Amino acid sequence: MIAIKSSKIRGTLKIIIPFLAIPLLVVLGALVFDANKYLLVSLGVAVLAIILFIAGFEKKTTGTRRMVIVAVMTALCIAGRFIPLFKPITALTIITAIYLGGESGFLVGSMAALLSNFYFGQGPWTPFQMLSWGLIGLIAGYLATPIKKSKIFMCVFALLSGVAFSFIMDIWTVLWYSGSFNPGLYLSAITTAIPHTVLYAVSNLIFILFLSKPFGEKLERIKIKYGV
Amino acid sequence: MKGFKDHNPIAVTVYFLAVAGIAMFNMNVVIFTSLLAGSLILFFIYYRTKSAKTHLFSVVFFITMAILNPVFSHNGVTVLFVMNNNPVTLEAILYGCFTATVIIAVLYCFRCFSQIMTSDKLLYIFGALSPKTALILSMSLRYVPLFGGQIEKINKAQKALGAYKDDNILDTLKTGLRISSITITWAIENGITTADSMTARGYGSGKRSRFSVFRFCAGDFLLIGIISLLTIVTLFGIKDMKYVYYPAIVPPKTTLFGVVGYIAYALLVLLPVIYHIKEAVLWKYLRSKI
Repeated sequence: MIAIKSSKIRGTLKIIIPFLAIPLLVVLGALVFDANKYLLVSLGVAVLAIILFIAGFEKKTTGTRRMVIVAVMTALCIAGRFIPLFKPITALTIITAIYLGGESGFLVGSMAALLSNFYFGQGPWTPFQMLSWGLIGLIAGYLATPIKKSKIFMCVFALLSGVAFSFIMDIWTVLWYSGSFNPGLYLSAITTAIPHTVLYAVSNLIFILFLSKPFGEKLERIKIKYGV
Repeated sequence: MKGFKDHNPIAVTVYFLAVAGIAMFNMNVVIFTSLLAGSLILFFIYYRTKSAKTHLFSVVFFITMAILNPVFSHNGVTVLFVMNNNPVTLEAILYGCFTATVIIAVLYCFRCFSQIMTSDKLLYIFGALSPKTALILSMSLRYVPLFGGQIEKINKAQKALGAYKDDNILDTLKTGLRISSITITWAIENGITTADSMTARGYGSGKRSRFSVFRFCAGDFLLIGIISLLTIVTLFGIKDMKYVYYPAIVPPKTTLFGVVGYIAYALLVLLPVIYHIKEAVLWKYLRSKI
């Protein structure tokens, strides 16, 4: 990525890698290994995606201030995960992504997942949580302008990301349990997770409604005052 | 000579990846039974807990999975009974029990892993990958208790200023929101100050180096060597470990490679326990010499 001078090509590559290269890897992996090794392939892809992203981040020159703000937001996410039932982690990731860009959003989401799992238990699901929350941040960064403009779109995005997070994690549950993708089992996993999904979506909605304005004002102020 | 958890974090990570990886991607009764046994022994060594509550989840999970699988999967030749026009087969029940055992075994394995892999060790590994990310990680870890302390201070100050005056939920809630708002503003401002201080001291002016207390010494190379050797021996036998679950359970033929592989994997699983026993014996021996 560093060798490419044109910022336009770099920008396109940034979109192509997560949305094209990774699904390609999944398909290739399913073809090379026999079809029952979905779990191995998916785990490898999740880890690879995170490593690719972090390597790209390492090569870029990022302002010290921006880095520290990312660390602060990550810490707030971790602290927020201790609130019983309602978790503000997705909402905070989305807010960071809107105001500081998709890259910061990815970092906050994935690092919060990694670090908070020290308190809540690490496991083979950690890379998946990191990727899911990171992707929510990344996508929110791409959609920053419409989200900032319309409150309804923001609420819809928060609701959808809650549902999407639950659905992605259920794919992982089914893969881990049966080794291959069983639609019946997936459906039942989704149905049993409905209370959790609703809770996720609702808590995202509540937190984004309550937090977006004060957080937005604070981050905007910092951006203007210190030029992050 | 040192105990298992005092080894270099990279060696420890390699160990857990090898152990969990082989069990997760190789549905074999012998393999995951040895993993479960090894992890349980290690779990009792590290946690020393005797309460049954910690294991309750595993039991409930096992029973749920054993019931759930035959409901969704009707493969298998041995039909036990018919429920709602769907056959319930012995193979499906056994397969459910087996997958549940693998998952429980891996869970115990990871609980031991998080006991050994403390956050400073994780930072060491991330530092090798990306010093910048490691910096973000370590700063966030420090911020969590820092924010907790600051919230307490702000809470006290607000109380002195007359917060929580009206004894009702609305007032408490309002004060809570106020305190969190103050804390967040403080946190971000404090972060900017930290960043400026870092820049003033020269952060980012040169190539980033890193400090760590972990070194690679002969013991670590020895450990990685043993792990690789045992893993390779297990992988050689993996072709002779393939169980067929559907339509009927067919265990693999017992071959020399397979048996050697089982022994190698059992040794691999018991490696931390062996280190632990060795340390205990050495400690006794050294004390007896005094």
